Amino acid sequence: MDYQNILTTCTYCGCGCNFFLEVLDGKLVGTIPCKTSPVNEGKLCIKGWNVHQFVQSENRLTHPMIRKNGVLEKVSWDEAFDYTASRLSEIKAEKGSDAIGFLTSAKVTNEENYLLQKFARAGVGTNNIDHCARL
Amino acid sequence: MTLLSQVLDFCGVERERLRARWVSSAEAPEFVEEVNSFIDALKTLGPSPLKAKTAKMGVS
Amino acid sequence: MIDMVKEKIEALFKEKKIAGFLGLREQNGQVAPHLFMEGQALEGMCLGDRKIAGDARYPLNKILVTLARQYPEETFGILARGCDERGLYGLFRLNQLDPDKVIAVGIACPGDLALACECKKPFPEALVAGEKIQAGDSIKAGRETLAAMDTLDLDKRFSFWKNQFSKCVKCYGCRDICPMCFCRECSLECEDLVSKGDLPVDIPVFHLTRAMHMADRCVDCGLCDEACPADIPLRLLYKKTAQIMDIEFGFTSGINKDERSPLSMMGPAPKKVAK
Repeated sequence: MDYQNILTTCTYCGCGCNFFLEVLDGKLVGTIPCKTSPVNEGKLCIKGWNVHQFVQSENRLTHPMIRKNGVLEKVSWDEAFDYTASRLSEIKAEKGSDAIGFLTSAKVTNEENYLLQKFARAGVGTNNIDHCARL
Repeated sequence: MTLLSQVLDFCGVERERLRARWVSSAEAPEFVEEVNSFIDALKTLGPSPLKAKTAKMGVS
Repeated sequence: MIDMVKEKIEALFKEKKIAGFLGLREQNGQVAPHLFMEGQALEGMCLGDRKIAGDARYPLNKILVTLARQYPEETFGILARGCDERGLYGLFRLNQLDPDKVIAVGIACPGDLALACECKKPFPEALVAGEKIQAGDSIKAGRETLAAMDTLDLDKRFSFWKNQFSKCVKCYGCRDICPMCFCRECSLECEDLVSKGDLPVDIPVFHLTRAMHMADRCVDCGLCDEACPADIPLRLLYKKTAQIMDIEFGFTSGINKDERSPLSMMGPAPKKVAK
């Protein structure tokens, strides 16, 4: 029997709410907002309350995938990068930079988000970049 | 019923707006009478304060 | 006070009465729920009082239900205030916990906390540490709060609650923190009652559905109030349902170990017993 509460910070947006992830025998079973955190004082939004659910979700992508003939297929990272790079160049050449948009995530680090906007603006040449936490 | 009518009253909804009666499926006249009397009671009370709220929400 | 609690827990471990003790611990500078196991020092253990008494309470009963579902054969010890013990009695009644598998280690709440909570019984029967404070003043304070609402006109009450309910962001925090909420399927997730992803919530359907469902369960621990990011006075609403249950049926959730809910009985309503 192993029950632990791991203090961590919400990955969903920039507020930085603190909560405990309940771990029972190595599995996440729940979220408890941290009462003593000065940030959220024991309160959470609906996303924070359910944050334990996505970690072990079966719907999580664990491999790069490409849709071939209408069906998603698992592919290697090399193939995925080649495909993405060539299609992005094609689209840019054919329709211009603004035909491309980027959507980034709150679940990656600040630095990764910075990199992607740099890639979009300096690399591809478009301001079409947005973020899932722009609530 | 006892509980819900009082909770509604606490939240500012007239308890007369809630009614539960048992009528047998063989007692059509009683059913009609009951519904008519409820309609009359509601007409006297006027429109529900909750209704104004929902109508506004529908537009926005 | 904490020494007496620790002594009791160590004795329980020594006598092999419990597999683990569910309490609170200082961890990374925060207060966290923690399952103390045998052989593990009770170091860092605390009672949930930080700046003021009881400001770091957690739904330990809820965690206990999770543990008991996974380990139904084991007996657990648990830190319990008056409200926690009322919750335990409620969970025994609702067959979520086995009374033979739970040993409460009770602490009494100080007078100022009891008054702030308007607590009905600020001490548990299984008292190990702390002084019993009689609930007279805090019960009176609770009655006065409700009476102040009742003297308002109907339309004032309506606009008060309409304003309160419209602040709701539908985080479901009141349900998720509630130690008495254990249903696997929740009526607040039933799409016939509550439309998914819509704000503002249906007034008053959302909040009254929960209030009605909690009428014979709520033990007035106030965790929902503390967890609400919109500061909706949920406790006031549930206090009212509790008052109706008391006046109409003579029932107070969690006060007696062998209680039965009048809402789960067939036949005429039980008469209030003169106290």
